Amino acid sequence: MDLTPDNDQIALQTATSDWCRTNMPLADARSRRSGLWDELESMGWVGMTAPGMDLDHPTEALIFAELGRFLAPVALLSSAVAARWTGSGGKVGLAVPGKDIIRVLDGDSAPRALGLFAAATGFIKNDPVCQTKPSLDLSTSVVHLKADAPVDPITDPRAALHLQLLAAAFSVGCADAARDMAADYAQLRQQFGRPIGWFQALKHICSDMAVRAAVARSQLYYAACTLDAGEADAAFHVAAAKRLADQAALDNGRANIQVHGGTGMTDEAVPHLCLKRAHLLQFIAPVEDRILLADIP
Amino acid sequence: MDIGFSSAETHFREQCRDWLKDNIPTGKRPLDASDAIGFDKAWQRRLFDAGWAGINWPTEYGGRGLSIVQQVIWLEEYAKAHAPWIGANFVGINHGGPTLILNASEEQKAFHLPRILKGESIWCQGFSEPGAGSDLAGITTRGRIDGDELIINGSKIWTSFAHVADWQELVLRTEEGSKRHAGLSWVICDMHAPGITVRPIRKMSGQTEFAEVFYDDVRVPLDNVVGGLGNGWKVAMSTLSFERGTGFIADQVKLGQEIAELVSKARASGMIEDDRIADQLAQMRAEVAALRAMTYRNISEVVRTGQPGPEASVIRLFAAELGQRIERMALHLMGEEILDFAYGDDDAVHDYLRGFAATIAGGTAQIQRDIIGERLLGLPKSR
Repeated sequence: MDLTPDNDQIALQTATSDWCRTNMPLADARSRRSGLWDELESMGWVGMTAPGMDLDHPTEALIFAELGRFLAPVALLSSAVAARWTGSGGKVGLAVPGKDIIRVLDGDSAPRALGLFAAATGFIKNDPVCQTKPSLDLSTSVVHLKADAPVDPITDPRAALHLQLLAAAFSVGCADAARDMAADYAQLRQQFGRPIGWFQALKHICSDMAVRAAVARSQLYYAACTLDAGEADAAFHVAAAKRLADQAALDNGRANIQVHGGTGMTDEAVPHLCLKRAHLLQFIAPVEDRILLADIP
Repeated sequence: MDIGFSSAETHFREQCRDWLKDNIPTGKRPLDASDAIGFDKAWQRRLFDAGWAGINWPTEYGGRGLSIVQQVIWLEEYAKAHAPWIGANFVGINHGGPTLILNASEEQKAFHLPRILKGESIWCQGFSEPGAGSDLAGITTRGRIDGDELIINGSKIWTSFAHVADWQELVLRTEEGSKRHAGLSWVICDMHAPGITVRPIRKMSGQTEFAEVFYDDVRVPLDNVVGGLGNGWKVAMSTLSFERGTGFIADQVKLGQEIAELVSKARASGMIEDDRIADQLAQMRAEVAALRAMTYRNISEVVRTGQPGPEASVIRLFAAELGQRIERMALHLMGEEILDFAYGDDDAVHDYLRGFAATIAGGTAQIQRDIIGERLLGLPKSR
């Protein structure tokens, strides 16, 4: 039993965040430059989950949490799932099935999109019925597809859990980013002649952000291990990870804006980017109560 | 990362399970400390005789000298088997003993540690005072040096098991005029010494488990100072991380059992059809799973680096508040049946009322949040 990253994993984690800080800063998530996806591909972030790479789930989760911390393009999630279970390379859009339409996020120049559809986890043809539009999360575009688009299913049932795990990792990263942003600001911003983080009313908001992020990250590691071990309770643990990570991302996203005060409400500042990403992630492989309430085998 | 255990560890787990299956006391542990003391001492002695006391304590003081992972496995199996709370032995086993292991002289360790493990000495903690709660450094109980003795005057409060204890880990001011964290000492105080008066205090759950302790010219040999005069704060703090290490293993298993019971109860009564109840139960199940993950992560950190990571302080706060949420849900599922509660009942109402201690004792939730904000996030100290 060991739930801490080893030296190789820490090195990968550090390399990922170093690259992101320089090449994909969070503040640029409001409008990602056009060549970014090609750079991500050439750096190996896109194909790293392919079968030949033998990347275990905990390492994947660690890397995706780092990518998520910088609000990396959400098509990384769908592309990683496609790569692992079908060996396909390249960009795959992220499909969010709705009642009357299917939304494809971050699908620019992707021929297909992947999502969890009622019938199966699988691909649909990325064939927009309308023009690409901006989305709530400014880092991504959205297009609407007809709800009856035929699904090309992925046969392995683990694909759905894989998407849920990676999306949870993105949420953990998003929650971390909001926590760190709030803590930094609380040390910098002065009122009543002191940093606002001195006041317990503000300090405790930040502490609760740290608790949520630590809880979610711990469960993420555990869930990733159950998926590797093929444990019968993997579905429960991945769902628990996703539920807690999504809450951490959303609650921290909101708290971060409160800590930032007036600035926090503006478009110009960055806290809203985390909040909006958190809202997006709630719709990726959402967790049903019945999975969390089922008897654990 | 992996969540598997080695075959030796799995074998150890089976040994724990087998012994517990055949040896758990059949009677229920009484609620009041004075009624439970005989039960607690007898049970601790049986644990010791069978080799289950002090699994990761040094062998020279009666422990088994095994790994922290084996200690974790024991505590997990202990809780899974519904073994009774160690009760009055709690302070000696989980706090006093570990503090002695880290800070005491050979003589002090050789005398006290085996007695703690055998259930022969009951310990209590003398930290809080009427005027020093969250502001623990405001301690005013004082010890004046007189020859080779300390003469102690003052009072302590919220001292669990004081009325049944033999020894106390007492933090007091030994340097006249000293302020805050300086000038404090950690001493082993004989609870049977002349000049000590114990006034038991009843809790709102009906239990008499803690007390106020008064010291009127109590003489304690200077040899009973642990870690040197004036080092009391450092000695007291040395075991906080120990407490955070394995202190919540049993809670985590117990919370898992409680939430499982609540889910089946809500199913049986049909209350689970209420989406709000179903959603809260689902949430708590996810949180209990995360508590285990967080505890394992912390233990892994101890195995890897020798000490718990900075996030260890989060576990305590999270476990306490999660436990209270589960207790509130249990109460909710009981409905108006709670109105039948009477002092002495050992049920969900009792657990709910007693559970308020979780966010007050040993550092309030507010102090925990200060610590997390300051040590984990680097925010400026408010105090």
